[in-house]
Amino acid sequence: MNLTDGIQFDSFAAFIDMGGYAFNVWAVYALFALFVTVNLVAPLRQRKALLRDLRRRQTLNQRSAESTAGVAVDEANHKAERVET
Amino acid sequence: MWLWFAKLGSPKWFYELSSKWLPWLVGAMAITLAVATVWALLYLPPDYQQGFTSRILIVHVAVAGTSLAFFPLMAVAGTITLVWKMKLADMVAKNAAALGAWFSFITLATGSIWGSVSWGTWWEWSDSRLVSMLFQFFLLLGVVSLRSALEDSDKAAKACALLSIVGCINVVVIKYSVEWWNTLHQPASPVSIESGSANGPEFWIATALMILGVYLFMSVSLILSTRNEILRRERRALWVQELLHESD
Amino acid sequence: MKPHRRKMLGIILFIAFGLSAAVGLTLYALSQNINMFFTPTQVAQGEVPAGQHFRIGGMVKDGSIAREADSLSVNFVTTDFASEVPIHYVGILPDLFREGQGIVAEGIVDAGGVFQASKVLAKHDENYMSPEVKAALDAAGASAENHSAASEGGSL
Repeated sequence: MNLTDGIQFDSFAAFIDMGGYAFNVWAVYALFALFVTVNLVAPLRQRKALLRDLRRRQTLNQRSAESTAGVAVDEANHKAERVET
Repeated sequence: MWLWFAKLGSPKWFYELSSKWLPWLVGAMAITLAVATVWALLYLPPDYQQGFTSRILIVHVAVAGTSLAFFPLMAVAGTITLVWKMKLADMVAKNAAALGAWFSFITLATGSIWGSVSWGTWWEWSDSRLVSMLFQFFLLLGVVSLRSALEDSDKAAKACALLSIVGCINVVVIKYSVEWWNTLHQPASPVSIESGSANGPEFWIATALMILGVYLFMSVSLILSTRNEILRRERRALWVQELLHESD
Repeated sequence: MKPHRRKMLGIILFIAFGLSAAVGLTLYALSQNINMFFTPTQVAQGEVPAGQHFRIGGMVKDGSIAREADSLSVNFVTTDFASEVPIHYVGILPDLFREGQGIVAEGIVDAGGVFQASKVLAKHDENYMSPEVKAALDAAGASAENHSAASEGGSL
């Protein structure tokens, strides 16, 4: 089967034109692409930030367990807590 | 059976299982969405009345249909939260509300862009299908803001669960609005097996593929955000602490 | 199941059923207001109070469209195959407007019994087909509705 057989358009310009409904058709597909991308990229970025934050806190906690200078660490933890909520 | 149920509700179990499944789901989603989009944009025949604007409906129908799944999903999760107090259920419900609002908005927007040329109007307040879908959008925004408004996270979870269960009524109204009342919006299309007839395979196969792709996308997005929620809420758990030592 | 869980489940079910019933009854009571339009038969039977602004929905009768030259003024007849209402409209019609098409018009019936429309919207039915299929079906003399109803399998 030839893949070009079923294509509904004779030229690239006709494809872009969508039978005169270029604005509506392409607006919907652009919106759809944006919608899918945003809702996949956002949780991935969130995950990155979250992991970075959790790792930093883990290091701080380990340090506070090793040393007795806990005040600065508590402050940093508190700050991180605020960022997260 | 109860052991299995309890295991399913364990965030750690879900996190580990979803790590294994995610690559497959993402792959299936990417392929399905790509094939459906190319098919819809290049190969789908024009409609005898609307011409190529029927291409909009492939996306619209898939997103709209999927948007109706959110309230039932949140209601099931909410019932599990209220009755069995399972932590995972609420994590899923929390992220579903925001994603569902997105789905409802895209449904309204794509429908509007189609209606502006086919019906001759962007919006009709007198159409019960349109208004009930707008209502679903506001209800989902309501669930999102209810959660952020209540500081006690346990109370917020319960309130959202109740609202989600009640919100299911609206889903039934959306679904049957086109049959119970006369509307500008067309009813669901009967599918024909025969090619060369109304609603034949050349129309519905692309739509069915798009529906599958959109459902996969919904699952992937929801799983990703639920995993984040798990890490956030279980950050003090030993298994999360150990996980942080590994690379992403 | 533990007693307190059973109780919780009971409360949830009670709320869900109670609210469904309440919403169902409300919608049933309001159903005439929720309907978007009146049919030509309802108009003929006098269900619409005289002098009221309302919407009418029906098919554009075949061969009834009469456009005035040099203006956007158009006259046509809308029908539900039982009753007919003549409509007059001045303005741009939607792309899908044509004979045999479902339409919804908004306006008022004048003294002469003509519906003076301020807005005309086109409906699209639930059947989608390519121009070739439509031509083939028309040639075969089978109406699209009968054909799709006969081969109905599911719905999207």
